[in-house]
Amino acid sequence: MENLGYLGAAYAIIFGVIFLYVIFIQRRQAQLDERMRALEARLAEVRDGLKHRSAG
Amino acid sequence: MANTFMRTLAALTGLLMFAAIYMTFAFVPTEAEQGIVQRIFYFHVPCAWVAFAAFGIVAISGIFYLWLGGQIWDDLGYACAEIGMVFCTLVLITGSIWARPIWGVWWTWDSRLTTTLILWLLYGGYIMLRAMAGDSPQVARFAAVIGIVAAADVPVIVVSVRLWRTIHPAVLITKQGEHGLTDPRMVATLLVALAAFTALFAWLLLIRFASLRTRSRLAALERELNLAEAAAGDL
Amino acid sequence: MAGFVAVLRKDLTLELRGGESTLALVALSILILVVMVFALDPAGGAADAPIAAGALWVAMIFAGMAGAARTVLAERDNGCLRALYLSPLDRGALFLAKLAAASIFMIVAEAAVVLMLVLFFNLDFDLRLARMLPALALGLVGFAALATLLAAISGRVHAGDLLMPLLAVPMYVPALIAGVKASAAALGGAQWSAMGQWLRIMIAFDVLFVAAGFILFEHLLGED
Repeated sequence: MENLGYLGAAYAIIFGVIFLYVIFIQRRQAQLDERMRALEARLAEVRDGLKHRSAG
Repeated sequence: MANTFMRTLAALTGLLMFAAIYMTFAFVPTEAEQGIVQRIFYFHVPCAWVAFAAFGIVAISGIFYLWLGGQIWDDLGYACAEIGMVFCTLVLITGSIWARPIWGVWWTWDSRLTTTLILWLLYGGYIMLRAMAGDSPQVARFAAVIGIVAAADVPVIVVSVRLWRTIHPAVLITKQGEHGLTDPRMVATLLVALAAFTALFAWLLLIRFASLRTRSRLAALERELNLAEAAAGDL
Repeated sequence: MAGFVAVLRKDLTLELRGGESTLALVALSILILVVMVFALDPAGGAADAPIAAGALWVAMIFAGMAGAARTVLAERDNGCLRALYLSPLDRGALFLAKLAAASIFMIVAEAAVVLMLVLFFNLDFDLRLARMLPALALGLVGFAALATLLAAISGRVHAGDLLMPLLAVPMYVPALIAGVKASAAALGGAQWSAMGQWLRIMIAFDVLFVAAGFILFEHLLGED
């Protein structure tokens, strides 16, 4: 069972890197969700403004 | 519908990956010459396959972007370049870890290693372009051109590096056993690992691609809203 | 064809009337050659052939990176690139004109570098030096094509001057390997036959990048 360390290291790195990449994707997706909410808020504001204008 | 598909794909990826790990550690016989380290091979090769497939799609989506236009091709190319880089990095790292006990060195300027390193640098440049230049249709066109030219350059790189190495005497004796899959169980393990990584590639690509699609639509909506607000301000 | 001649003539006229591109290219090339001599410390004698070849190609790539792109970069200011894009000029012809101008500037610089190389490494003006020239010429045209293509990108994106070497060097690897090998063989006194395979690689590289530039240049010029 010599060189077991090398084998373990290789597999740890493969799954570690893939895991980190998935986390990285998730984080950027979370930022996008944030942008989406900001956009929705702005859109609601614009709609309200239009409503007030048509009412007044 | 899309969610069900993604969940099925994720489950399939997990299942195949579990099978591949099981086969690599408990099913496949130990290779006689290289010992236990040879088991790296069953995950090293699928990583290389995913990297090359991803880089291939970068070039193809570049051609479609320049030919037909459409942000969708640009998003596809970007997602593939990123995933290709991740797996190309894994190929280099796992290759290095394998080479240390077998060849006695972390790195040697063997033709295959050198070619992979050049590919890594090449697509690293592509990623840097996208990271530094930001998003615009202009940068998308630049990236498409780089993706196409890089892929066209690959055969020339392969030939030149191979000639470069055969001219020099080999410092290390490359064991041909690396690809002598003598046992049918070895072939089976490799095939399952290839299937697992292909499924993983598809899953990663779809989530990253979907994310990039969202980003592009979001950017378009933001631009539209800016224009609408500016127009409303003028009233 | 008329467009090609017009753009090329314009670039050469500009350069002759006090453009400093070529001068800077020559100075930079020689400087890099001097740095290489210090770094590698040639012992003198036949063993120096690979070192001399290596120094020559390093000087060419790094000086070329800064110099060969000038023909495109010079157009960026004052909106000249936009004017060229709007003109009825064929984009392929424009690329070839820029490539020709860059090649001419690089030929001047390389002539100076080869001269200095002979002095620094105590080479002779003989057949060995002459045998190196085809490889040098092919490498130079290939690099000029690559640099012209990439300059249209690096000149117009944020931090483009950093991107230029990141993109250019990995792409240039095949021509670099072949060029250094062929030059070292030539300076070492090898016959033509020893260089054939390297020259073929360089021809393939040149054809690829000239064709790529000719076809794809129009996609790089547009603005949004």
